[in-house]
Amino acid sequence: MEKTNRRAYLFIAPFVIVFLVFNIYPILLTFYYSLTNYSGMGGIANAEFVGFGNYIRLVTDSYFFEAFGNTLKIWGFNFVVQMMIALGLALLFSDIRLKLKGVGLFRALFYLPNIITIASVALLFNILLDWNHGALNQMLLSLGIIDSPINWLNSPVYAQSAVALIGAWMWFGNSFIILLAGISGISRDYYEAAYIDGASWWQSFTNITLPQLKPILLYVLITSIIGGLQLFDLPMLLTDTRGAPQGSLNTMVLYLYNQAFKYNNFGYGATLAYGLFIITVIFSAVTFRTMYRKEVK
Amino acid sequence: MKKLVFLLAITSVFLVLTACSEEKADLVVTSFTDELQGPIDKFEELHDVKVDLQIIPTENYTTTLRPALESGKGAPDVFTGEIVYLKDWLEQDYWENLSADPYNVDSWEDDYMEYVWDLGKDPEDNVRAVSWQTTPGGIYYRRSIAKEVLGTDDPAEVGEMFSTMEGLMEVGEKMKEKNYRLFPDEGSIQPYTNGQDPQPWVNEANELVMTEARLSYFDYAKELRDKQYTALAPAWSPAWYESFVGPISYNVGWDELDDSAEAEDKTEVFAVSLPTWALNSVLKVEAQETAGDWAVTNGPTPYFQGGTWIGMYKDSENKDLAWEFIQMLVHDEEFLTEWVTETTGDVLSYIPVTSKISEGYEEEYLGGQNHYEFFLEEANKIDASTITKYDQQIGDLFGTEVGNYVEGTVTKEEALEEFYNQVKNAFPDITIPE
Repeated sequence: MEKTNRRAYLFIAPFVIVFLVFNIYPILLTFYYSLTNYSGMGGIANAEFVGFGNYIRLVTDSYFFEAFGNTLKIWGFNFVVQMMIALGLALLFSDIRLKLKGVGLFRALFYLPNIITIASVALLFNILLDWNHGALNQMLLSLGIIDSPINWLNSPVYAQSAVALIGAWMWFGNSFIILLAGISGISRDYYEAAYIDGASWWQSFTNITLPQLKPILLYVLITSIIGGLQLFDLPMLLTDTRGAPQGSLNTMVLYLYNQAFKYNNFGYGATLAYGLFIITVIFSAVTFRTMYRKEVK
Repeated sequence: MKKLVFLLAITSVFLVLTACSEEKADLVVTSFTDELQGPIDKFEELHDVKVDLQIIPTENYTTTLRPALESGKGAPDVFTGEIVYLKDWLEQDYWENLSADPYNVDSWEDDYMEYVWDLGKDPEDNVRAVSWQTTPGGIYYRRSIAKEVLGTDDPAEVGEMFSTMEGLMEVGEKMKEKNYRLFPDEGSIQPYTNGQDPQPWVNEANELVMTEARLSYFDYAKELRDKQYTALAPAWSPAWYESFVGPISYNVGWDELDDSAEAEDKTEVFAVSLPTWALNSVLKVEAQETAGDWAVTNGPTPYFQGGTWIGMYKDSENKDLAWEFIQMLVHDEEFLTEWVTETTGDVLSYIPVTSKISEGYEEEYLGGQNHYEFFLEEANKIDASTITKYDQQIGDLFGTEVGNYVEGTVTKEEALEEFYNQVKNAFPDITIPE
């Protein structure tokens, strides 16, 4: 008995070793960096130890809180739109009365935006949203919807909305697939029983579909939060890489990147990484607790 | 069938194994473009060696290469650096000291463009990086438009008109009257505002230096925008490239600013501020339709933009070969003459070759103008002493705030305050003005 147990350690060893070397070690080293004013050059040994100085700066850094707010705003808007589209389509395609055809084809089509590289997406929307020469303004002008071109990427509200909507466009297909799978997993018996009892479409949606879908919705929400808090590439590539217009696209990870790699504040960058980590943990924990507490009651 | 699969598997394993045991290069060169491939081919042929050119895209260049230089693991023998981070790297012990034995490059000094040579020195005045090119800027303009509006397309005469900020604005007004635009965007005048009173961005006491000349960028940029001397085509945007070939869409919703405009929705751009290398890598590539219709002349002040320096890694095991390669690239008359005239068209910082090439040179793209002569003159006026390692980042932050002011989203005071906050946030050690 004992022998087999020991052998099991051998089997999990590759994972544990890789995890220690490539995850735990860098995480701890990052913590050490965050206690110094390391610039990324001249060796960590020559960097000055500043204790919790960087953390004190973090909690008083208005740019960091602005970045936190921006990230939440963009993620929130993106999530609402994305879920409305994904859930709506998933309900449509799973409806037993409609019996829509071509689910496989649409699933692939909806997923398509997700496989385009972000760099291409950013370039594409940069051209479409261009103030004076962009297709969107030209179209709206010629249709007479607006009188003068709107400088989309120079207005904080429009720029943040643009990032949120592009994100929703890219990710709704992914959520759609997961939700559709979740809905297909709900037993037909419930719906049939409800139908016989005279339940309306809305009643079966709120009383059967939503509660049954809760674990799936929780999964989508948590992965979306974790991904959303790490929003980086699109805001970076869409404007000047520093979060223009007026800092509205300055997200937490973009801020971290610029501090560490543009301004060579490695130490403070590491501190920002820990700040981001703590925020992510809190958000995931809160979501998890609230979603599950109701179930227990 | 199974046998076939087995055979394929065996062959692929074999192929992978042989690929691994590939011959090791005698010299590894790292850069961010492929422009060194030509010289490397030539060098391989001359010395019968194998040189490996590793190209890391500009966006990832510092983040990828710096850890290797820091740790020494996987560091190349020779590597290039751009002006953007050149000063940062010269403060570190990355490049070999070329002023020392056996290189003694100090004796070359007189053969090089002064500012280029000075920029390759570390804080102790040792040369660690050298450059084959010089990158002064000027104003490229369209000859046909100059003739129509200004009555001349002669670079000297146009340059005379461009020699002050007021002169530049006067040309802008004349252009606008004929529905042309002086520049694609407001950024085109930035180099000339600071040039009025050249000061470093950060002085030796680590204080941010704000001057009247720098502040004037706010007003000149605003003037350009308000008087509609620009075409609202930001540098490197698709519209900006388009503006080099013909009319671009403009003024779609600007009628309220200018009652006289009869809903003109197209306009043509007259000129753009660009450095030497833009002739070959921007204009000739993107604007063949207007070839021959261009010329280049001076703006109100000289300036330079970009530039690549090269040096050898301090712990390289192949220093002899690395040194041979660097010598060929920056100090070999025969090679440089051939390289420049046949391929790149670069303006060299090595004076013996450049002055030889510039004699009687006529550039077809520029309507037969001798741009070598012009750029050499401009390069001689450049002073490297005001360049700091902060220039790129602080200049970008400043440009962004000027942009916000020009757009009308903030006042000048707000823009300036935000600029100071941004600098403080990016570089906490710098003292900002009260």
